[in-house]
This record gives sequence, structure tokens and C-alpha cells, in this order.
Amino acid sequence: MDSFSSAASNGSSSSQFSTEDFMDKLKAQLAEAYAEEFLETVRGKCFEKCITKPGTSLSGSEASCISRCMDRYIEATGIISRALFSSSASR
Amino acid sequence: MDPSSFNSAELQNLINQEKQRAMVNEMVGKLTSVCWDKCITSTPGNKFSSSEATCLNNCAHRYLDMSIMIMKRLQSMPSQGQRFMG
Repeated sequence: MDSFSSAASNGSSSSQFSTEDFMDKLKAQLAEAYAEEFLETVRGKCFEKCITKPGTSLSGSEASCISRCMDRYIEATGIISRALFSSSASR
Repeated sequence: MDPSSFNSAELQNLINQEKQRAMVNEMVGKLTSVCWDKCITSTPGNKFSSSEATCLNNCAHRYLDMSIMIMKRLQSMPSQGQRFMG
């Protein structure tokens, strides 16, 4: 993230429509796409785990399962990410 | 916006960085999904049990081991190795 932003701000003085602006837009769109994909995954996983027998309305226990499930999925993403990219992680 | 006004080497560099980030994101996302299915067998609780957390961590590491193994095995195949690695 940091190396990216510094690279973008260093070299944009040459052009009127700056590369920086363009890349900012591109980055925003990518971030949106990532978020959408993540949400879709979480919906799928948590529906599977928490709504085992769909009733006439969302029950309280289903609702609390969904919030726990979201929290755990985010946590799991962190665990996987750390396992992949920090060499000091215990194997 | 006139694309020709961009410094194309600079732009290419930035695009490559984004591409790399996209690959990393995709891999983390995919592996989280796979390992979640393998390791989280019960209803999610307020906290991961230590066995769930360990399983997730192991799952990611074993996936890396497997990737390396597959790569090596593919490289050791005289004909196929060339075709895929080329």
C-alpha cells in the first residue's frame, strides 16, 4: 500500500491528467470489486452455516449466528493471510 | 482522458503492482474459503477454538507445501514440464 502510493505521487507531475488520478479511480473500483466478492463469499458461507432450515422469519439465534459467522470469517481471512505471508508463523 | 498523456512505463509499473495485489487477494480469498470448509465444521462460536485456529493455519501451510510439490513434480516430467513452464 505504501510503496504504491509513494510510487504514484512521485511521477505524476509530467502529465496533465495525472496517472495518479487514473490509478486512484482504478484502485477504488478494484476495492469495490474485492469488497463485493468478499461479501458474496461471506453470504454463501454464513447462509450455509446459520440458516439450516429457513423459517418464516430470521430467528434471533440465526441472526446472532450470522454475526458470529461474519466475525469468524474475517478472523479466518487474517489467519490465512498471516500463515501465507509471514515466514515467522509457526508451522 | 487521453491515454497517450500517461507515462506508459510508469503506468505499466503501477498496473503490474495492482495485478500482483489482485493475485494475492484472490489467493487469500480462495484459500480462506477452502480452509473454512475443511476446518470450521460446527456453528461459528464467539471465538475460534484452538483446534480450529490451528487447522486454519495448518491448512494454509500445507497448501503451500502442496503447491511446491506439484511444481517440482511437474518440472521433473520431461515433456509436460516444458509445456507448462515455458
